[in-house]
Amino acid sequence: MKNIIEINHLNKSFGEIKAIQDLSFCVKEGELFAFLGINGAGKSTTINIICGQLLKDSGHIVIDEQDLDKNAYTIKSELGVVFQSSALDSSLSVYDNLESRAALYGIIGIPFKKRIAELAKILEFEDLLKRTVGKLSGGQRRRIDIARALFHKPKILILDEPTTGLDPQTRKTLWSVISNLRKNENMTVFLTTHYMEEASEADYVVIIDSGKVSAKGTPLELKNTYTGDYITIYGAKEKDIKSLGIEYEQIKDAYRLSVPNTKVATELIIKNPDVFNDYEITKGKMDDVFLAVTGKALVGGAEK
Amino acid sequence: MSTSFILIKRNIKLFFKDKGMFFTSLITPAILLVLYATFLGNVYRDSFTSNLPDSLKLSESIVNGLVGSQLMSSILAVSCVTVAFCSNFLMVQDKVNGITKDFRISPVNSATLSMSYYTATLISTLIICLVAAGICLAYVAIVGWYMSLADVFLLLLDILLLVLFGTALSSIINLFLSTQGQISAVGTIISAGYGFICGAYMPISSFGTGLQKTLAFLPSTYGTSLIRNHSMQGVLSEMQNQGIPSEIIEEIKDSLDCNLYFFENQVNMTTMYIILGITVSALIGIYILLNVFKKGKC
Repeated sequence: MKNIIEINHLNKSFGEIKAIQDLSFCVKEGELFAFLGINGAGKSTTINIICGQLLKDSGHIVIDEQDLDKNAYTIKSELGVVFQSSALDSSLSVYDNLESRAALYGIIGIPFKKRIAELAKILEFEDLLKRTVGKLSGGQRRRIDIARALFHKPKILILDEPTTGLDPQTRKTLWSVISNLRKNENMTVFLTTHYMEEASEADYVVIIDSGKVSAKGTPLELKNTYTGDYITIYGAKEKDIKSLGIEYEQIKDAYRLSVPNTKVATELIIKNPDVFNDYEITKGKMDDVFLAVTGKALVGGAEK
Repeated sequence: MSTSFILIKRNIKLFFKDKGMFFTSLITPAILLVLYATFLGNVYRDSFTSNLPDSLKLSESIVNGLVGSQLMSSILAVSCVTVAFCSNFLMVQDKVNGITKDFRISPVNSATLSMSYYTATLISTLIICLVAAGICLAYVAIVGWYMSLADVFLLLLDILLLVLFGTALSSIINLFLSTQGQISAVGTIISAGYGFICGAYMPISSFGTGLQKTLAFLPSTYGTSLIRNHSMQGVLSEMQNQGIPSEIIEEIKDSLDCNLYFFENQVNMTTMYIILGITVSALIGIYILLNVFKKGKC
């Protein structure tokens, strides 16, 4: 797989504040890439530079083998962006909104009508076309935002906290649509999110803090590097758990043991078969990775 | 249909759907209507008749026609600029709401976006001003009609020129605005202030000499004067036909800003057209240059 986004030694300051500091990473074509960080870490600044909204101070960005400095207009045709907050006209209908946004890419007349019918079917908003955007629910509006971003069939879809504030059902629907698009059209998804369960589905993760890369790798690599495993034991007595001499915590009707890795867990089970009658081993979560890397936890979009 | 056409359609639709923006643009004309209906109409009616020699009696229709024409010219002169400003606030609201950012992530040409705002404002303002002109002309027809077809045609031309001026000026000023607070501040200043400086509430001739001389430097003053001339020259000719001496007619023209003076020199209507035409061209040129400069920055 080739690199579709290459960022090398990117720097950006706002006065005295260094928003991005020597940032370098790559995104491979067709992958789901998660770009994580607390609010103010530099995620949106990076996205704004990629989209040509902000000028960088230094560094080099190549998107789909094209230099951003030289081919900004061509690159813009390959990007679809879903912003944190909806950027649609609240007082216009869904149809009028999409008509004006499609026109920005020269999609007008019959091609527009064909594409809107296609997207309305995929994102299930056929019955919303005549509705005023301001009167849509959060989930419905998000589907229209995604339709706007996908209208010109971009190679890269940038999702800047797309599911914040949405109910679990709508989040699931949106992710199912995005997964299908990735599979069917080999679209690259560049995601920023505060939901770590979404990040754990990514092919590759970069965590930034204060404008610098703090950690990068696949979710498994990050979990293995920055967190341990958990063994949950059911139906055991506390004195048996204590006898193992390992840090544990009592949860509803079980005990949870923290071990450095799966190898240690396996050895422990082999040594104490009587204690481990009913148990499960789980990897650490992305929340644990994030906490270990940045020293800060994220709960529903807020730093803790 | 082109990209520009669809963007212009979007901008016009948004202006007419945004009741706040639409009604704000009509505040100044509404104030004028209230002022004339409550007392200003009577003040002017009395002032015209009191200046006439006792031997001359004018018909009620002529006096009403003169006052009605003055009201019409004031409303139209103000509306062409204030409506343009309010309509063009869409450009700023798009910045505030993040819509401009959404537009600029696309490969659309910056000039296409800028001209779509300009053209949409021009069309929205013309629609409102032409409807207002239609209503005003109907009102003048009821109270006392003395206008020729040429006067009506020239009045519409004046409206077009003043709307072009208002649109270009608002485009330049709005380019520097980026918050809701700035929209409110500029909106209030324009709505409240423009009526005064263009002589809609009180004729410029009634201001102090210093202020009169200052206002003579504003191109819009000549636009207002053109509208006044073409609204009133019919009724003033009729007054002359009925025996009012030309000196008195000239005095009335002076007092109603039909005659304008630039440091004691009377400015004729051809010069007024030239001033307005050059100003509009210059403002559009500045707007284009500012857009090119801003685009260069990012």
